[in-house]
Amino acid sequence: MAALVLLWFTLTTATAIIGPGRFPSPSDFWLSLTQINVRGYAGATLVSHAWQSLKLVVMGFLVAVATGVPLGLWMGWDRRAEALINPVFLVIRPIPPLAWIPLAILWLGLGDAAKIMVIWFAAFVPSVINTFTGVRNIDRPMIEAARMLGTPRWRLIREVIAPAASPMIFTGLRLSLQASWTTLVAAELVGALAGVGFILNVAQQDIYPGMILVGMFTVGLLGWGTTAILSSLERRALAWNVAARD
Amino acid sequence: MNGAPLTIRQGALWGLLGIALFLGLWIFLSVSGIVPKQFLPTPGETAARFITLLTSPFAGATLPGHLGSSLLRYLYGVLLAAVIGVPLGLLMGWFRLLDDIVTPIFDALRFIAPIAWVPFAALWFGTGIGGPVMIIFAGAFPPVLINAYRGARFVEPRLIEAARMLGTNDYRTISEILLPAAVPSIMAGLRVSAGLGWQSLVGAELIVAAAGVGFMMVQAQASVQTTTVLTGMIAIGLVGMLIDVLLRQGEAWLRRRRGLEA
Amino acid sequence: MGSIRFENVDKVFGPQSGGVKVLDTINLEIRDKEFVAIVGPSGCGKTTCLRMVAGFEAPSAGLVSVNGREIKAPGPDRAVVFQQFALFPWKTVRENIDLGLRNKGISKTGRADLIADALKLMNLESHADAYPHQLSGGMQQRVAIARAYVLDPEVLLMDEPFGALDAQTRVVMQEELVRLARVNPRTVLFITHAVEEAVYLADRVAIMSRRPGRIKEIVDVRSIRLSEDWDRHAKIEDVMDLESFVHLRTQIWRSLREEKGANGL
Repeated sequence: MAALVLLWFTLTTATAIIGPGRFPSPSDFWLSLTQINVRGYAGATLVSHAWQSLKLVVMGFLVAVATGVPLGLWMGWDRRAEALINPVFLVIRPIPPLAWIPLAILWLGLGDAAKIMVIWFAAFVPSVINTFTGVRNIDRPMIEAARMLGTPRWRLIREVIAPAASPMIFTGLRLSLQASWTTLVAAELVGALAGVGFILNVAQQDIYPGMILVGMFTVGLLGWGTTAILSSLERRALAWNVAARD
Repeated sequence: MNGAPLTIRQGALWGLLGIALFLGLWIFLSVSGIVPKQFLPTPGETAARFITLLTSPFAGATLPGHLGSSLLRYLYGVLLAAVIGVPLGLLMGWFRLLDDIVTPIFDALRFIAPIAWVPFAALWFGTGIGGPVMIIFAGAFPPVLINAYRGARFVEPRLIEAARMLGTNDYRTISEILLPAAVPSIMAGLRVSAGLGWQSLVGAELIVAAAGVGFMMVQAQASVQTTTVLTGMIAIGLVGMLIDVLLRQGEAWLRRRRGLEA
Repeated sequence: MGSIRFENVDKVFGPQSGGVKVLDTINLEIRDKEFVAIVGPSGCGKTTCLRMVAGFEAPSAGLVSVNGREIKAPGPDRAVVFQQFALFPWKTVRENIDLGLRNKGISKTGRADLIADALKLMNLESHADAYPHQLSGGMQQRVAIARAYVLDPEVLLMDEPFGALDAQTRVVMQEELVRLARVNPRTVLFITHAVEEAVYLADRVAIMSRRPGRIKEIVDVRSIRLSEDWDRHAKIEDVMDLESFVHLRTQIWRSLREEKGANGL
């Protein structure tokens, strides 16, 4: 890690192989970082921008998961539901989430609502698919055993199907979170008035490489942080899942 | 799951019902004016626009023209990712030292969404082809690298031991043992790469392009030409699906040829 | 009470014409509290027989009934012990045993008592709050048996229950099952491909032909077990040493060998 920073420094400040107009040096980066934190940039401080983006991602993600996982469970459980919904899904799915951005802007403008809509689209699909697959991949004997024990439908779904599918559900959640961040940054790059993507946008127009890097760094940091939280939730929920320990 | 599987006929009927409901809802929302007409044209109007755009240009080119530009960048980006990713991944899987150097860099950059590279892409390449290619590369590179790495690293140890016993040098081990063994993993990685690359392409074109389907859509949005926006979405979806189908076929063919049904 | 009956049962997998016929005209009657083992070559359909009594499959022709009632769906009156245990990994031992009782609507205190009895019966008291992955295969199967027994089922269905266990554990479990069966008898249908196991455990052993499975022969073990007083010996190896045991085992083996003829399995 330290070697990387050293390399960075060498390539930029020490030797100017990479000029300041192309990629910022460590000191450029540091300067920009302090600037945005203390005096603000593009309308607000870094913390404020980061919070704006984080808010939207979390909201979009939660809505996507709250709608996607139950749908996936239903489709996995009920073959008629699968037959009904799958074709529509197949048609919508290949459309990259980012492709919804122009439409979202048309419908909902440049505000928060449009961003949440696009995030929802992006994060919804992986949740549904992974939940569905998780349900379908449950070992048959487990379901048969639950049936044999006379388990009624709702208890079966709550206490057997959902826990059994939870490893795959969490995989879906991780993908959903990734998709949420990607979509948010893109949406903010295209049209926004605040947020991390907005920082990137303004910095690009101002030709301010140091600030661009700050923006990217923040995106990475927020992404890493939210993923870490999800991972720790996953570890606790799946403590019983020894098979996957590798 | 619950109850017996549906027959093909039953499945098809439910499926048609699903699509019918979807189209019906669309038409209803559009015609009734719940969503203003300019923001949600009917399926019919959209289809008409789609056909029109096949021959008459919008924002500089016809639909096939835009698709062509997009596909060109896409192919450059994905091929570049594969050409760098596969060898690098294999080498990393074999030479621990390389792994130790590259992995931390990779981990650090992994959480930055490819799209976040757009500002630098714009700065370095303007609206030239380099911009989108770079973004696509950023999106397509990780899966290929990771899968090539995994494929090489987790090769059946017995195979390596056998190669050693037979006195195989490093170069030959990598090219004749690791590479073939890693092919299934690489193919799977390429499929994911292709998908991610296509998605990144769209994102890139929304911002740093002067041609291509994404560019077309942004222009259409600015002039509130919703039918064109929808056309763009459908075209992107269709091509994306086609790419995935082709790659799946390729993967299946490869598996059959090697006698594996993994 | 817990009698099982197969009447002219056929089973075809796939389309009715052109599918695979796995069972052909099965006729078998199992009396209440009788322990019957079915042995046969791989693929002969013996597991399918069990699954029909359990309610996981339905016959293509004929009737499968318990106590004269046709079987329509799975339920706790016909408890199943699976080869792969099928315990719920996210539930503790106690919770695994509890589920069936909760489904029956038994009160909390009632359940606690029943679970305590079951744990004691299967020697699981010190593992009551462990998770399945923390237990050995033998212990997991004990939990599965406890889960089944606690429901006081009329019929106990065991599908190669010791197949996934190592040889030593298997022997211990066989002895335990015998102990259980004598102390707390109920109708048992036991599927296995291990002839010694069948002879040791069962009252009668049904031998199935290879696919499409038919009941080739039914051997009565109980009368010999009683007349030679096998239960006198606590250890399984002593029983298996007895001439009467060996004779029966060989008889069944020979019958099975004929079945293995063509496909050489």
